[in-house]
Amino acid sequence: MTDLLRQLEEEVGKCISCGFCESVCPTLPASGYDLWKGARGRVILGKELLNSMNMEGKPNLQLSDSFYSCLDCFACLQVCPAGVNAGVVSHLSRSILAGAKMKGSRNPYASMIVAATMKYMNPLGIHRGLGSWASGLKFSDRSENLLYTGNMYQLMAYTGKMNAMRSLMGDAMGRFMAAMASEIPSLVRISATQYDKDFKAKLDQSLRNIAELLARAGVNFSYMGDEEPYPGTFIYDLGYLEEFREYSAKVYRMLKKTGARRIITVDPHTYDLLRNAYPKYVKGFDLEVVFYTDLLDQSKLHSTGKNVAYHEPCHFVLRTDAYNRPLELLRSASEVKLPARSGKRNRCCGGPDELIFPDLSEKISNDRYAELEAIGADEIVTACPICLSNLSKKGKVSDISGLLLEAMKG
Amino acid sequence: MALLEDLKSALGNNLLTRKEQLIPYRTDASYFQGNDPVAVALPDSVEQVSDTLKICQKYSVSVVVRGGGTSLTGSSIPLEDSIVLSMAKFDHILEVKPEDRYAIAEPGVRLDALNEYLSRFRHFYPPDPASSLAATVGGSISTNAGGLRAATYGTTRNWILGLEVVLPNGEVINVGGKVLKRTAGYDLTALFVGAEGTLGVITKAILKIWPLPEAKGRILAYYDEIGNVGRAISSMKARGITPEIAEFLDRITMDSLEKTRGMEFPERARYLLIVDIAAPRESLQRQLQDAAEVMKEFSPLDLRVTTDPQEMSRIYEARKGAYASLLSERSSMSERVVIGDIVVPASRLPEALKDSESKVNEHGLKVALFGHIADGNIHANIYADVSNREQMKKVDEFQIDFGRIALKYGGSVSAEHGIGIEKKELLEMEIRETGSPHVMELMKAIRKDFDPKGIMNRGKMFD
Repeated sequence: MTDLLRQLEEEVGKCISCGFCESVCPTLPASGYDLWKGARGRVILGKELLNSMNMEGKPNLQLSDSFYSCLDCFACLQVCPAGVNAGVVSHLSRSILAGAKMKGSRNPYASMIVAATMKYMNPLGIHRGLGSWASGLKFSDRSENLLYTGNMYQLMAYTGKMNAMRSLMGDAMGRFMAAMASEIPSLVRISATQYDKDFKAKLDQSLRNIAELLARAGVNFSYMGDEEPYPGTFIYDLGYLEEFREYSAKVYRMLKKTGARRIITVDPHTYDLLRNAYPKYVKGFDLEVVFYTDLLDQSKLHSTGKNVAYHEPCHFVLRTDAYNRPLELLRSASEVKLPARSGKRNRCCGGPDELIFPDLSEKISNDRYAELEAIGADEIVTACPICLSNLSKKGKVSDISGLLLEAMKG
Repeated sequence: MALLEDLKSALGNNLLTRKEQLIPYRTDASYFQGNDPVAVALPDSVEQVSDTLKICQKYSVSVVVRGGGTSLTGSSIPLEDSIVLSMAKFDHILEVKPEDRYAIAEPGVRLDALNEYLSRFRHFYPPDPASSLAATVGGSISTNAGGLRAATYGTTRNWILGLEVVLPNGEVINVGGKVLKRTAGYDLTALFVGAEGTLGVITKAILKIWPLPEAKGRILAYYDEIGNVGRAISSMKARGITPEIAEFLDRITMDSLEKTRGMEFPERARYLLIVDIAAPRESLQRQLQDAAEVMKEFSPLDLRVTTDPQEMSRIYEARKGAYASLLSERSSMSERVVIGDIVVPASRLPEALKDSESKVNEHGLKVALFGHIADGNIHANIYADVSNREQMKKVDEFQIDFGRIALKYGGSVSAEHGIGIEKKELLEMEIRETGSPHVMELMKAIRKDFDPKGIMNRGKMFD
């Protein structure tokens, strides 16, 4: 905790409160310009949290909604003249609130998700069927390459129905049920019976496309099927760091057991987590982490003749080490048009807020979809299952894997 | 509380009252810390603005209007039990008419967003405060913001054609209009420019817009003597060259940009002078060369010309963020940056800059100097622990001396940041020492006439 407070002090101490971050923070306009749900407000409240922890040893205000509504997109960092990362402030503050273990300081949905993940190694408590997308496909029993979906595509089939259930319950009842489920994680499994069949088929097909792309590129790889663990993204993002340390070590052992040396990730969140958080939390982490597009040969892609609008995932472009390989490949496969807010000015799809603040998330995704649609391309494409799921609520969006496969087949 | 009940019934969900939601409204980009407001109103219609003011009038409660919260003088923070009236939801661009050279925007539109939109029409809105990414149309009108391009285009006042304003009693008025010429009685439009929310609430603005320059180039020159920086610009202007932008930065500012932006400057350089030339494509190189020749006459350590848009944009953004970057050069975590903002006639810059540097040394303060040098605007950024009375006393004394430098050379104590809380004493000094004490009485009379109950931004500008 002392270390977290020191880090928070260092981050908020750099801020002069100029407000630049606020102008690019997607949650601020989506919240109706309620400053505590904007980047500068979070830094100001980070200072308040720090003061109350230093003075009273505990948080004295109900700040969790401010910090949990942050998308961690890091758009704020790109424009901050002082190098303050309001996303990091939110993450540190969430971690302090989670560590304080006080009633009211935590968000009930966050507690529920973490409890279920710790118990079942999956936020919805499901495993059976998560590998069904691969039905009929052949994988190596043991290989130095492991295809690791992290369950991310599979989970996206459930979020829409979950939020519909929440909406029916209303906010107060939803929070009450979430608080209950955090004590009795098996309750979460009720939501696992509800999923969108059509969308599941689309997500499954994306994973099959990825597997085929790798096979065509001559990559030999194994896959864990239903035994594959969720990487713990939520536990880390929600600030449950003690739990994440324990959880990530367990996942690491499972991945190592497959005999793989290289982990092939298929979504930006797992890619980022394994590359940047795992080495800090898992002692001796020695796995090479790649994104599947790293293994594809650009020279084998033929133009499909399509023109596409590409929504870049924040975890690829707004981090310090920007990862542009999917965009490079896409440019070989099609004529790519980017919205005005792309690259270092990228605008998040709102996805990370979907489970905790669905209304905010929807407003952000609607605005982003409108920007993409206005480009007037043949197709809107992205390379992240969360972006795909969130943007698809408004209209047709495709996963990049389909287009790449089409380009590879010529 | 009857006040809150009335506001709730007028504003519904557009009213914030929870303690955690109110805290971020205590502050803006200045070093001042205000109180938590009683509530924050986030109206989404002119009617709601009008109703809010009527209610505040009824209860005689202070109203603090907030735009982008980028004030450097504390003009947008609540000092007493106040209602903050945030204009953030008025964020639409309503009309763009390039053929008539105007655009109509709501006050919550951010300036960079406005210009990004206007660029589709190959036009722009010239006022360009360094905070333009976050600053809003309404806020920049209310402080008569200047900025980098003011050297060529002047301040916000020159670009406001008309306004829709809700007066403190709730009445909605329209002043000015869509035409570039108008001589119809007193210029009430101009009266609201720089009024810092003391006379009414702007709900719509008709802005003059201008075609984008065809081409731009930038000259970067490094000097080791501050007088030469001023002489280079004065000389350039005397020969008929008007830079679109002319900015100077001192060594502390350069160091902070190296740290926060990863930029690199020659080690020996004490001052950087940035000059932009905007011109028709065919004559850009010639005009750049003419300007560079003048700058070379004043012994620069190094001089470089660029027309690379990416490099130009990197330098431009770094300059715009310089105020916030400065914090990286503080000596302790408790230090903040207090920014001074004077203006002198450009021809007096060499002396004013020398005097400023002497005053910095005399007061023994750590001060970073930068500014919009082509229009004679100097910013002194003073490092101080704002909770330390002794230090703040020294800062105040320096600010007075800095203001006196402006007055000595026929300038002003406030170029573009307004008065807010910070410069009330300086405003009085300027009016007193320029020999027109009646001016303050006129200002007070105007304010009282608009706002007899004194609810608008109480405690700001003057008492």
